[in-house]
Amino acid sequence: MKKGEIHLKRFIIISTALTMVFLSIFLFFGPHNPRFLSSNNYAYAERILYWGVQGQDVRTVQDKLLRWGFYDGAVDGIYGARTYRAVRKFQTKHGLKVDGVVGPSTAKALGMPSAVGKTATGVNRNADEYLLARAIHGEARGEPYVGKVAVAAVVLNRTRSSSFPNTIAGVIYQPLAFTAVADGQINMTPNMDSIKAARDALNGWDPTYGCLYYWNPATATSKWIWSRKVTLKIGKHWFGI
Amino acid sequence: MDNRKQLIAPALLALLLVAALVWGYNQNQIKKQHEITLENHYQRLFFDVKKHIENVQVNLSKALVANSKERNVLLFSQIVSEATSAHSKLGQMPLTHAEVANTEKFLNQAADYSTFLIQRHLQGQDITTEQREALNGLQGNSAKFNAELENIQGSLSDQNFLLGSMSKNQGNEIEEANANIFQTSLVQLDKEFSKTPELIYDGPFADQMVNKKPVGLTGDDVSLEEAASLAQDFLGEVSIGGIEAFEAGEHLDESRIPAYTFNVFPQSQNRDMAIYLGVSKKGGEVIWMANPRPVTGGQLSVRDAEEKAKAYLQNKGFSNMEANYSLKYDGGVLFTFTDVQDEVIIYPDLIKVKVALDSGEVVGFDASAYYMNHKDRNITAPHLDEGGARAKVKESFVIDSTRLAIIPKGKDEVLCYEFKGKQDQGDFIVYINALDGSEEQILQIIQDENGTLTF
Repeated sequence: MKKGEIHLKRFIIISTALTMVFLSIFLFFGPHNPRFLSSNNYAYAERILYWGVQGQDVRTVQDKLLRWGFYDGAVDGIYGARTYRAVRKFQTKHGLKVDGVVGPSTAKALGMPSAVGKTATGVNRNADEYLLARAIHGEARGEPYVGKVAVAAVVLNRTRSSSFPNTIAGVIYQPLAFTAVADGQINMTPNMDSIKAARDALNGWDPTYGCLYYWNPATATSKWIWSRKVTLKIGKHWFGI
Repeated sequence: MDNRKQLIAPALLALLLVAALVWGYNQNQIKKQHEITLENHYQRLFFDVKKHIENVQVNLSKALVANSKERNVLLFSQIVSEATSAHSKLGQMPLTHAEVANTEKFLNQAADYSTFLIQRHLQGQDITTEQREALNGLQGNSAKFNAELENIQGSLSDQNFLLGSMSKNQGNEIEEANANIFQTSLVQLDKEFSKTPELIYDGPFADQMVNKKPVGLTGDDVSLEEAASLAQDFLGEVSIGGIEAFEAGEHLDESRIPAYTFNVFPQSQNRDMAIYLGVSKKGGEVIWMANPRPVTGGQLSVRDAEEKAKAYLQNKGFSNMEANYSLKYDGGVLFTFTDVQDEVIIYPDLIKVKVALDSGEVVGFDASAYYMNHKDRNITAPHLDEGGARAKVKESFVIDSTRLAIIPKGKDEVLCYEFKGKQDQGDFIVYINALDGSEEQILQIIQDENGTLTF
């Protein structure tokens, strides 16, 4: 009886030890991935396609995915739920990052043609829209729709204010400005609602009437933020100037 | 036999320890690498900002000496570029907004003010005494800024300063001391800048532009209850299940358009799918409305949608509106309507209407720009006829249409001839001032199957 118990103990110790050795070896060689650096470099300002985008390029994606059996919907040029799922399937199959977004690497794997040069090539609002949507998703996922538009409007109001950076990326990535940037939540793929809110904000809707700040009174860590003047409360956020 | 077996566990544990140590060392190396990279980046930003500020300071001094407009235009354009670079780099340094807000404002306005002076010079005007004063002030501020950076640079080399460590709030004493030197001196500077008097000029970052108040709202203040009933009236045909107001802060009256914001639950929709509206406190006008309901399967054509939008505006009392751009997204079409008075299109009076393509219902309305700018206008007769204005446009520009328009220019408005046309296969709009013939504005139009964007 006693002998059996010792055997069991020893077995547990040895197997844990082995697993840990194994794991540590893995962790060793895990993080170095030079492909990560190079795969992001050949983005030639092609439009990024994601949920809700419309256009000829979406039609091309749908057509390709349909022919290869990933897609079963209509080729209508609207990036909807079915296109999203099909793109994810395609990405899984081809070992790409599975995010449901047709970025440069997915577009390349799909064999998408690259754009021709003319005065307007690459001039559009998609990058702004997508970055703003990610900020909304990171900062205000659980908020009502108007709260999402309001957060995006604050970002846009900041770009027009003299005391802040003048670009959307500059405002969003300003050090310690947004918690979702500091903790990496901004890198999550935005959902349809966030993208919609970003578009409405870019098209001029501003439920905050020019506010430059918002904070969550329950979690705000900065003492300074309490010196701001509150003008409106939406969901968990207070908006102020 | 038994002895040897007993050795297996310790041996494995020892192996594990070695593996863990190697792993930990490796991780530490990676961490150090990242820290050095970040540190180098911050150091580079610091020295760049220093150089840019130096150049701003020197060029401002030169501008105060220079006597010719040509020299000044060159100097001011250098100030614009140096101040903009300094601003963008300062925004990347590990400093919070609260610590550098006024410094950012100083840099923004230095660039903006220089642009304003360039424009004046190009119109042939000289620098006035007040503007010289303002330049003097800017020069003084840049000198203070530069001196402060000089101090920091001293401690930077003295104490093997770690900029990178400041963004993390680590308890380490040395790092804390460093953070204090860097941050306190910049915070001190920021306070200094906040005492600078307002710059009066015409540019996007001028204080009076930023603090603009709506001129299109008239009448008495309405109470929250009145506003709620006005909101319900506005929604009209929608049967309302409930209406709630968002809580206003105590400084509501200081926002750009003081307004009550409502959450309306239509009976036909889920409770979590509300319609949102803002009703201005002054005059009780609906400033904006958004109904974010999902739109599926749109059969309506853009033309039909435009009719619906137009009828909607008529119904709300906006009778002279004309649709000029449309953009299709999320199952709806967004139309930009502008006021038309005596055949002149008035761009500052702008209203956006979004129509759902499934039912033709209006799901979005935004008249904030309209109420910010709308007023009774006396449109002066153009001094220039159409032919005269055409002569001011580049000859190779192929014109599709021409009309008179009022466009915003800084805090003012100008009457222009609007020439829509093409150049090298790109679509553009050129605005020629109808009074003095100067080329006021050029817009590039990007068109695709979803609609139009202007840049």
